[in-house]
Amino acid sequence: MLVLVRLVVVVGLVASMPLAVSAQDSWGHLSGRFVVKGELPPAAQKKIDNDAAYCTRSGKPILDETVVVDENGGLRDVFVMLLLERDAAPPTIHPSYEEKKNEPVVLDNVECRFEPYAVFVRAGQKLSLKNSDEIGHNCHIITFGNEENVNLVAGGTVEVALQKADRVPGNVVCDIHKWMEGVILVRDEPYAAITAADGTFRIDNLPAGTLKFQFWHKKVGFLREITVGNQVTGRRGEAELTIVDGETLDLGTIEIDAKALTGDK
Amino acid sequence: MFVESLKCGFNVAEVVKTFGIFVIDSKLLTSSATGKLSHDKALAMQSTKTMTFKKKLIRKFCAGLGMLSLLIAAGCRPSTGLEFPANEVELLKLQRHKYGPNEELDSKYKDQVAGVMAALFGTPDEPAFPFPANDASPFRALVSLGNLNASAGPVASVKDGKENLGLYRKHCANCHGLAGDGAGPVALTLNPYPRDFRLGKFKFKSTPLRVPPTDEDLVRVIRHGIPGTGMPAFPNMPPDEMEAIVDYVKYLAIRGEVERRLWDEVTSLAGEPLAGIPGSLDTAQTREAFRKVLVSDPTSPISDILFDDVLPRWVERDARVSAVPTAPAGVEPNDAEFNSLAGVGKELFLGKANCIQCHELPGHSATQAVNYDDWTNDWVKTPGIDVEDKRTFREFLKAGALPPRLLRPRNLTLPVYRGGDESRDLYLRIKNGIEGTPMPSSVSLNDEEIWALVAFVRSMPLK
Repeated sequence: MLVLVRLVVVVGLVASMPLAVSAQDSWGHLSGRFVVKGELPPAAQKKIDNDAAYCTRSGKPILDETVVVDENGGLRDVFVMLLLERDAAPPTIHPSYEEKKNEPVVLDNVECRFEPYAVFVRAGQKLSLKNSDEIGHNCHIITFGNEENVNLVAGGTVEVALQKADRVPGNVVCDIHKWMEGVILVRDEPYAAITAADGTFRIDNLPAGTLKFQFWHKKVGFLREITVGNQVTGRRGEAELTIVDGETLDLGTIEIDAKALTGDK
Repeated sequence: MFVESLKCGFNVAEVVKTFGIFVIDSKLLTSSATGKLSHDKALAMQSTKTMTFKKKLIRKFCAGLGMLSLLIAAGCRPSTGLEFPANEVELLKLQRHKYGPNEELDSKYKDQVAGVMAALFGTPDEPAFPFPANDASPFRALVSLGNLNASAGPVASVKDGKENLGLYRKHCANCHGLAGDGAGPVALTLNPYPRDFRLGKFKFKSTPLRVPPTDEDLVRVIRHGIPGTGMPAFPNMPPDEMEAIVDYVKYLAIRGEVERRLWDEVTSLAGEPLAGIPGSLDTAQTREAFRKVLVSDPTSPISDILFDDVLPRWVERDARVSAVPTAPAGVEPNDAEFNSLAGVGKELFLGKANCIQCHELPGHSATQAVNYDDWTNDWVKTPGIDVEDKRTFREFLKAGALPPRLLRPRNLTLPVYRGGDESRDLYLRIKNGIEGTPMPSSVSLNDEEIWALVAFVRSMPLK
């Protein structure tokens, strides 16, 4: 009953919006690159207090990955997320995402760290929890609306599906090796991206029109008061961007002051 | 059994008798007129942080001098005027998680959330529940208002003590706190800490992760207690009182989950997340009207949180109970095959099943992985917190968080099993894991392997 009512409301909203009707055949893209301006302290080394013989056998130290920048200042693991306000109709989803939703997202355990550190998965999409190590892990995902805690035997893989969309990313941990940390975002719609090692991101096939996006990083939360394109983000790290049919809105280089990322008390 | 009218319906003779029992019961309840710290006052301390001095004075006056006269004049049991304390730790966490180290949420939203919560769920003395308007809705059967009324409020008895009121404060609140926050007056003295119901997580149950416990699961924990913890058994609790308390625990858990989700919405959205929702409302009359508006508007955030998120999980739990297959021969210590099955289990324990990673076994060197439970990890994972450096989380302790305390994996060489000692209990712990703890579910193990582990676990204390 309630679902029906809501459906009617949603259908009504979509039908009354000229944008949504034409949005079916007009799509644009969004891209940009996050760069840290200024000096960051070197990443802290993690304390390895269990299975040290295996986890450090390559001789490489295991580093804190909360803030990772490349040699050009590119900032990894910034989440760029479509922001849907409370009364907003869900966005039209480009058909190309249908097939992509059937492919599982892989979250691997490699040498006692999560690979990748940051993951985006759609609600209901398969998430393949893999253990490439020769020792056992557990993969404990806790977001606001989802939770999984599976025992991953050495070399094993377990498939799960997180069902509930979250507002912001949640945590991934291994309780057995408690330095292991990651972040995960679950959304109904496919319109989110995570910056790569060089700080770049790209979201394809967004419905053309004016859309709100939120920018988030694990270290500081919403990225507020940063210049994105021709505007400054607000209190929830949001910016209104206009996506034009057939075009890529390139936000260019988005600078973040290093001081903002070392904001520990 | 318990009806709302019980609270306000009895005559003066009964009230006097009630008050008599009140005084006899008053080792815990000591009248505030004597200046001693009363049971309710101790609980109220949790919620008085934000209370103004003036309000405190009024409250003191009512609780003390006014108690008897109020009883007789209104024909009601005394109201302590308590409000549920807000989940300040959750709010602080969300602020740090989303806004960084310094910024706070605009206080107007705090008042709005408090107003919405009071309208939906009432107060510790006068509970309400956001039942949907539709009589056929499965959500209506989740709790009964009569049961909530019997559990809520200060401790009192009517009709020669046969029908008790204030059951939650009588039996539970000292440890679990007025709002079910697990931070009652004695919580700090207990290890492990009492359960905070507001995350909606429960350890010992027949359902998998993310699915709330069934009523039977809750009854079992209350009836038998939890060995090895401060949770006592209540073997003689009458079934109607048990039912009332189980409903109240569900009520506190649901209330806590709704509040957390509301904070999440309010701290995430850029616009006016609660636009159109009036601020705090003071009288029970308007709260009721407000509640009706909130639950009947399908476009409100409240409706989404309640009817699409929190309540459906509580309704579906009976259908999500994990089936426990018949145990093979060898699981019980008296079975002829017990030793050989336990031997298979031991190999799994030390190898494929990962158990030795956390659970120590004499004669096998392995580091015992200690960690925190979800109730602690929920806030210590906030950026900027170093769990080993108190200076980094003082503000959380001030907001009401209990100091982080390491959780040790069970020592299985002792025959103490918190979730029950039957084979099916151990099967469920291994199969589903233990919610709120590092103990994971075992989807990579088949049933034979799990039963072999059960046999090995049961063999350990025998050696």
